[in-house]
Amino acid sequence: MLLAFGNFTADPSVNLQFLIGGLALGAIYAVVALGFVLVYKSTDVLNLAHGEFLMLGAYFALTFLVSENLNFFLGVFVLLLVMLVFGLLVHYGIMRRMVGQGFFAIVLITLGIATIIRALLLIFYGPTERARLDLLPQGSFEIGGATVRHVDIIIFAVVAACVLLFFAFFKYTRLGLHMRAVADDIEAAAAMGIDPDKVYAMTWAAAMVMAGLGGLLFGHVTGAIDRSIEAIGLRAFPAAVVGGLTSLGGSIVGGLVVGIIEQFANGHLGTKWREPVAFSVMFIVLLVRPNGLWGRKDLERV
Amino acid sequence: MSVGGLGLKIEGLTVVYGGVTALDDVHINVPPGGFVSVLGANGAGKTTLVRSITSLLYLHKGRVRRGSIELGGESVVGKKSPEIVAAGVAQVPEGRKLFPNLTVRENLLCGAASRSDLGGIDESLEQNLELFPQLRPLLAQTAGLLSGGEQQMVAVGRALMSQPSLLICDELSLGLAPKIVHRLFELLTEINEARGTSILVIEQNASLALEHAASAYVLELGRVLMEGTAAELRGNPMVQELYLGGGGEAHTSYAAIERPRGGRPAGGGR
Repeated sequence: MLLAFGNFTADPSVNLQFLIGGLALGAIYAVVALGFVLVYKSTDVLNLAHGEFLMLGAYFALTFLVSENLNFFLGVFVLLLVMLVFGLLVHYGIMRRMVGQGFFAIVLITLGIATIIRALLLIFYGPTERARLDLLPQGSFEIGGATVRHVDIIIFAVVAACVLLFFAFFKYTRLGLHMRAVADDIEAAAAMGIDPDKVYAMTWAAAMVMAGLGGLLFGHVTGAIDRSIEAIGLRAFPAAVVGGLTSLGGSIVGGLVVGIIEQFANGHLGTKWREPVAFSVMFIVLLVRPNGLWGRKDLERV
Repeated sequence: MSVGGLGLKIEGLTVVYGGVTALDDVHINVPPGGFVSVLGANGAGKTTLVRSITSLLYLHKGRVRRGSIELGGESVVGKKSPEIVAAGVAQVPEGRKLFPNLTVRENLLCGAASRSDLGGIDESLEQNLELFPQLRPLLAQTAGLLSGGEQQMVAVGRALMSQPSLLICDELSLGLAPKIVHRLFELLTEINEARGTSILVIEQNASLALEHAASAYVLELGRVLMEGTAAELRGNPMVQELYLGGGGEAHTSYAAIERPRGGRPAGGGR
């Protein structure tokens, strides 16, 4: 009776296929969650517009890579550059004025930004859905009876490379150090001559660039590009929470975990179970570990 | 190695947080290469004074309503904190305020944020480790896990990483063992004499501050109550009563002395 709504299978090759698809989807969630956590950790803003940022990335990818038909690498470069500029705009135009305001006032501002982005996309791109991107190699190969799409492998590799680059930036560069210092204690950082304003601007720019990358990649695996893909922000949210909202590494693992669980739920139970299962994972983790798997309360000074 | 000290001249400074006045017509003068102390109990406005000099009031919704703050003859009211640090002002904040999740090494490097001579930073780090050899084995340690004394050494070292010409220490002695506090103050005196760095210490521990500083100001409820050379203030009966106490212990507040003794007039120090 229980199985009436699903189509469970123990076939290992099918499960392997779910796992690989899950890793690719999870990698996208991870990169989205990473941008989300970066902003939260360093500016204390819970950015509800992050899904819209990603959608913006996907639509800009349509413009630069499909309509303008730029060379792939040049197009990606322009896409990320434009996203960076938008990130700076978000900071200098809006968020900068909100520094020091109440937490929820700022959350509502991000909700407002999300609404504006949705409206602008409707105005400039119209309501018609577009075909998904097909710029990355579209073939597939067989391994152990499972069909593996090239695009899934590429997505996973690109995200892995970007994440490594991202962590190296934080660990080894001066700006990365200053960003971590501001996240730890903004007043002490300012007292050392670090400009929090600049660091915040860089944070929004970095989050926007990551969302651009996420949009470009997600544009290759989504059914179609329309204004419903901002829902990925909603899906990356459990990923960020599972990892612990303050842990960059946790958001990566959280993204992969949520992606894999979703693919298995999708495959075994049907599409409509994807979101409920993903959010159930979030609830269970929060019940057991309120700070997420890797989140920590900041170390208090002695 | 800073070249000489930076003078600080504050006149008629009034600072408000919303409608609350925290400093009222305050004046402080630190001559170039001088060692000056500001004494006062909790709530006297000491930390507000530091925030005003280093332009951090905005983080607490405070602002300078009136008055001037000059560094080396140049007004700094309205300048941003990075500019002020770059001009040569470093601080050891109240409560140390280390970056708890960063390592000791990273904390020290953050102190050099304002420097553009990247090559000289390693040299300064080495100088710091000679000053505080205890920190060398702790370089890779997370700062939040250090003891209070070690944290204060990191905080002082971090401030020195910018090669300041004016060093401001806010409540250096708070919560630390007397032995460590004495060593830190001796170190300040050394830095003051050897490098010519101007020093401004904000302290509740008046006996200690008056032992090392050349001159001092007493802040009470946001106003300058008294000022003079360290010797003058040490000899002042009111300072002895309020800040030096019977056994050399600083009382934590004016009211703590006033009330139990039946509101005895505190004498005319103004």
